Amino acid sequence: MGRLAAYGVALLAVGAALAWWLTAPQPFAADYLPEHTADAAAGEQIFWAGGCASCHATPVDGKRAKGDGKFRLGGGLELDTPYGVFRVPNISSHPQDGIGSWTMLQFVNAMQRGVSPGGQHYYPAFPYTSYARMPVTDVMDLKAYLDTLPAIAGVIDDHALGFPWKVRRGLGLWKRRYLTAEPVLAVTGDDSDTLRRGQLLVEGAGHCGECHTPRDDFGGLDPTRWLAGAPNPDGPGRIPNITPAGKGVSEWSAGDISYYLEAGFTPDFDSVGGSMVAVQENMAQLTPEDREAIAAYLKAIPAVP
Amino acid sequence: MSKTKKVCIAFAAATMGFALTAVAAIDPIEKRSEIMKGVGKAAKPVGKMFKGESDYDAAVVAESLQTWKEAAMRFGRLFPEGTESGGDTEAAPAIWEDRAGFEEALKEFLGAVNAAIEADPQTLDAAKPTVGPVFKTCKGCHDNYRIKKD
Repeated sequence: MGRLAAYGVALLAVGAALAWWLTAPQPFAADYLPEHTADAAAGEQIFWAGGCASCHATPVDGKRAKGDGKFRLGGGLELDTPYGVFRVPNISSHPQDGIGSWTMLQFVNAMQRGVSPGGQHYYPAFPYTSYARMPVTDVMDLKAYLDTLPAIAGVIDDHALGFPWKVRRGLGLWKRRYLTAEPVLAVTGDDSDTLRRGQLLVEGAGHCGECHTPRDDFGGLDPTRWLAGAPNPDGPGRIPNITPAGKGVSEWSAGDISYYLEAGFTPDFDSVGGSMVAVQENMAQLTPEDREAIAAYLKAIPAVP
Repeated sequence: MSKTKKVCIAFAAATMGFALTAVAAIDPIEKRSEIMKGVGKAAKPVGKMFKGESDYDAAVVAESLQTWKEAAMRFGRLFPEGTESGGDTEAAPAIWEDRAGFEEALKEFLGAVNAAIEADPQTLDAAKPTVGPVFKTCKGCHDNYRIKKD
């Protein structure tokens, strides 16, 4: 072999090693979890704030689950996206088909690092980039609550994605750019406890930005247009701008926003619609203080026309 | 045929033609949007009573219920094939893809309205369990069958 060829091979090997290293899943260390006794009752509030059931509850007759059906987290909903079809997995307490046998650390790694117990990347259709901003104790409480929900049998088929999206390893690069536990905005104010609570709910568990913020060419959220509205991922129409420049938030009082989240009506008594119906029904389960905190945060963030 | 008869026929034909044109001129998109705006307009004063922003007024509630009843009975007929898009329609494709589900959701609306009319609530406490369910049916239709354009 000539000297040049040897250099070439060496360079390729270094490049491959670098790519492998750059795309590696990065779970938390084994001693990451804090001392915390997980509280299932607190976890139920996280369950509603996080909207777990909106995707993971098994559809009934092709329609989204209602009532007690929201506690049957056997998965099966299909999300038809430009990348391909994502199939929502079973996260019920079933020990084999669901996540009932996961350790706390495995659960936290899934929720906040987007890494499966087998060490693979999850696709960000599962909004771990938002959940990464939750306090880890909230995530631990959530697991305690999910453990109390029914075990549902049945493994859901894997996603059907096109190339290159089906190469999970590549997500490592995407995560380097988009996965961070840092808050989106620096929020301060006279009422900073309420604002901070609202921020945790909107930027974290509530993952509002996943629909209300437009995405860039690589499918990551554009932080400069935070909550400024985006195309509807489910089809025609638009997801509204919920910054103070949007029609809703500018014309509504904080009380109007809380009432909308609680009852599902705008100040003109037009009703909530589309995929927001499921979200609103979840928000109605929160405490009035939490809905007020969300409203306070939405009133306080930068207006993006 | 006498001249008078001919004139009569001509007149009748012209009248019918005019009537047919008038029927054809009803734009379902415009009409259904007008009906739904009326539903919202009727909801606002009742909603304010429920929120405690205004005093309970049984006559206003009864009037709104009649508006909703009429809307619920007419609305479903205003989505013929060919009106899937156009104008400012916020109708979702699901109306045409899942007509049975759409009709079912409208039936729930009408059923809730009829029950409330039957109950004829005279106080806010009586209205909450009887008129309240009508409000719940709004999003029962808007979740799948309406697109928000904002």
